[in-house]
Amino acid sequence: MLPLLISCNSGTSTVGNPHSSTDTVEIRNMKFTPDSLVVKKGDKIVFVNRDMVVHCVTAIEGDTWTSGALPTGALFTLIAGKSSVYYCAIHKVMKGVIIVQ
Amino acid sequence: MSKLKNAVLGCFSAASAFFLAVPSVNAQNPPKLSDPEIAHVAVVANKIDIGYAEIALQKSKNAEVVNFAKTMSSDHQAVINQAVALVTKLKVTPLDNGVSKKMMADAEKTKAMLHSKSGKAFDKAYIDNEVAYHKAVIAAVETVLIPQAQNAELKELLQKVDPTLKAHLQHAEMVQSNLK
Repeated sequence: MLPLLISCNSGTSTVGNPHSSTDTVEIRNMKFTPDSLVVKKGDKIVFVNRDMVVHCVTAIEGDTWTSGALPTGALFTLIAGKSSVYYCAIHKVMKGVIIVQ
Repeated sequence: MSKLKNAVLGCFSAASAFFLAVPSVNAQNPPKLSDPEIAHVAVVANKIDIGYAEIALQKSKNAEVVNFAKTMSSDHQAVINQAVALVTKLKVTPLDNGVSKKMMADAEKTKAMLHSKSGKAFDKAYIDNEVAYHKAVIAAVETVLIPQAQNAELKELLQKVDPTLKAHLQHAEMVQSNLK
């Protein structure tokens, strides 16, 4: 099954930087792995749901963005704008942090 | 005092059902289950929690409790779907057994207890039961179902479900502390 690509920009940066890098955060076993990322503004962060349940990656501090419902296999791409703390809005015990330098 | 005793017993009856399902069963003397029986127990355990969530969605006015119940309903249905897909693939028919029967019988008592409550008393009873139930199911999965599963894919599915159950327990405990 091909993963469903869902992209949702934060609104703080919509132009891709040709020199940006891409990091991947796996959602697996009810955790974000890695749960802490240090990136540069404009870098891409791809969240991929490897769990059997639906997740929803959502900023709770520092920035405003959300993936919406992410079924198994779905991707969410964030262009790094501001440092933020995020969680899964469905499973609120799952948390992570993005530090934008 | 008897009402309190009944409420506590009701909360814990489903949670302890697994280990009381077979006489003298404990972690040192678990029931012996075949793979078809394990599959049946796994599906029943998930269906029971969906049943509890449905009551919460009918009765609770607390946003946190309702959000939690929706998550339980969705997640446990996802697990059932995975289990059904696996047994279909393996051409295994889940087999009813004494453990499943006891779990369902005790769940009916818990549901009756939940239906008898309303307002904050209901919210507390529902979440208290969710904490206890998930603790019991996690113990059953880790000490009985996973070790006894013979089929590698069934074992792997149970191992994948374990973190979900633990996250549910953490979430239930968080809601429980917010209700105090």
